[in-house]
Amino acid sequence: MIKWMRIALRNILKNKRRSFVTLLAIAMGFAAVSLFRGYIHNTYQGLRESAIRGEGLGHLTIYKEGWLEKGKIDPEKYMFSQEELQKITDLVEEDEDVILATPQIHISGLVSNGRTSTIFLANGVIPRDDKTIKGAWAAFRPVRGNELSDKKTYGVEMAEDLAIHLDLKPGGDGVVMATTLDGQMNALDIEVAGVYDTGSDATNDKYMRVPFKFAQSLYDTEKADRLVVLLDNWEKTERARNRLLSTLSGAGFKCEIKTWNELSLFYSKVKGMFDMIFMFIFSIVFIIVVMSVINTMGMAVLERTREIGTLRALGLKRRGVSLLFAIEGAMLGFLGTILGIVLNIAIWAIIRTIEPTYIPPGVSTPVPLIVNLLPQAMFTLMVFLIFLSLIAAILPARRAAKQNVVDALGHV
Amino acid sequence: MALIETKDIKKDYLLGETVVHALRGVNLTIDRGEFVAIWGPSGSGKTTLLNLIGAIDEPSSGQLFIEGQEVALLSDNRRTELRNGSIGFIFQGFNLIPVLSAVENVMLPLQIKGASFSESRDRALSRLHEVGLSDFVRHRPDKMSGGQQQRVAIARALVTNPSLVIADEPTANLDSDTSRSIIGLMRSLNEKEKTTFIFSTHDQRVLDRVERLVRLEDGRIQDGGDKK
Repeated sequence: MIKWMRIALRNILKNKRRSFVTLLAIAMGFAAVSLFRGYIHNTYQGLRESAIRGEGLGHLTIYKEGWLEKGKIDPEKYMFSQEELQKITDLVEEDEDVILATPQIHISGLVSNGRTSTIFLANGVIPRDDKTIKGAWAAFRPVRGNELSDKKTYGVEMAEDLAIHLDLKPGGDGVVMATTLDGQMNALDIEVAGVYDTGSDATNDKYMRVPFKFAQSLYDTEKADRLVVLLDNWEKTERARNRLLSTLSGAGFKCEIKTWNELSLFYSKVKGMFDMIFMFIFSIVFIIVVMSVINTMGMAVLERTREIGTLRALGLKRRGVSLLFAIEGAMLGFLGTILGIVLNIAIWAIIRTIEPTYIPPGVSTPVPLIVNLLPQAMFTLMVFLIFLSLIAAILPARRAAKQNVVDALGHV
Repeated sequence: MALIETKDIKKDYLLGETVVHALRGVNLTIDRGEFVAIWGPSGSGKTTLLNLIGAIDEPSSGQLFIEGQEVALLSDNRRTELRNGSIGFIFQGFNLIPVLSAVENVMLPLQIKGASFSESRDRALSRLHEVGLSDFVRHRPDKMSGGQQQRVAIARALVTNPSLVIADEPTANLDSDTSRSIIGLMRSLNEKEKTTFIFSTHDQRVLDRVERLVRLEDGRIQDGGDKK
């Protein structure tokens, strides 16, 4: 094998310009895919944290069966009672991967500053549990003013644009109005404890976070419409869902459990779009690499037809000829990806140094352009491109191996 | 048992829509240790006959036996193994692998056979010494003269100790002195090791050292058994 590798390497070095162009095509393709992969990896990471911690979705959300379909029509019927909440919370918190299970209630209505009113959507949360869910993420989008508190049940956190519309600042007063579950109009005073940025244009002008008790009070109910579950690791989400479903079902509770990515429409849409772009870039790179290697190896086969004839005459079998060119193709792939890794790291270092920012569509503030270095993904891509180059080289190599020895020797 | 035996071998080529009869029924027997020149004018079928004897081409009809084996009955892989183990080739254009040094070129048939690196290298160096190229073992073909390259090709042809060496116009690209020297080298190796040499030529200058001449004309043997 070593002798064939030696011949392959020397042939690559012999045609320096052609090999360099091929290596550059592979390297740039590798770097493009790997950098984009690193970028979307970081984006997914950010969006995931934003959904789980920023939006407060936790990892899992437990609903009473039917809530998602008919909850709007008959909410009372599909909400959890106090007793149910307690039992389900106890069962869920017994799970080894669960850090927290906390009830929530989503409300909507009108919010007014006394002069103007606008609609709002709010999440009724238990303040200390909300703090646990946010964790370190809270520092990324801090609340201006005070956070929610169990002590001041009428203190709410208001999204930035909503506060601007209503000309409310931390410490400012307002009124929220909504219909109770019985259909009566209800109004409660609020104090804007803090103002925060949701990070999304779509929600920044209508979102609020209110204490759980306050939300219950506005809807005049003792119930909750969901139970949010925080796990110790997001990668356990799917397994935990299946396990909890089985536990709850075993205890006689008919529930539905949604994962954070199912509930975060933004994450799903962005992921779908990036996955599509990634496939697009990957397909282009795939075609470039295959065509470059086929072209290079095709020319090599043509130029070395007499050499192939000689090797066959000397006793090299057809599969030996295929192997020789396949090794050359694989070596092109290997050297190309090594060059690609160097290119990738260089661009990554430049991005880290410059620290550019940009405003993605639908996002309210600039975000840093961060590209993650993913050694495992790079290694997988490297193996894939080497394999791809090998396969691409085999096509002309097989043609070379099938040639009649006399014809090959007579080739000029 | 004869080393080579051909029975009424014919070979036709299709050149466009025209059938070219390169060999029109050749019967030839060559014994071990012979030093045979196949000569004749251009287009007489010399190269075609050598290609068939070297098992790199197949006859249109007739039978070819090498060491008693009918070549047509062998699979491509078996024919390839036969070439590797029993036949050495010397080409008119030397056909050395340009990216390999002299010693690496000579090692090649042994390495194809599966011999170890050290054994291949020792035997290749020994053969290069025999052909007078001890000082050129690391040289690549493009750094050697035509005569030196052909000596490397001879060393490569002999390194597996084949029973037969086929040389197609080995002196065609060489000057007179080098041609005589190359034929002399082949002759001495034939005498020393009893390796059978069959080579084609139309160069009258080299024929005086050949013990048996086979004259081909229009794809037929005109004078097949002459020994000098």
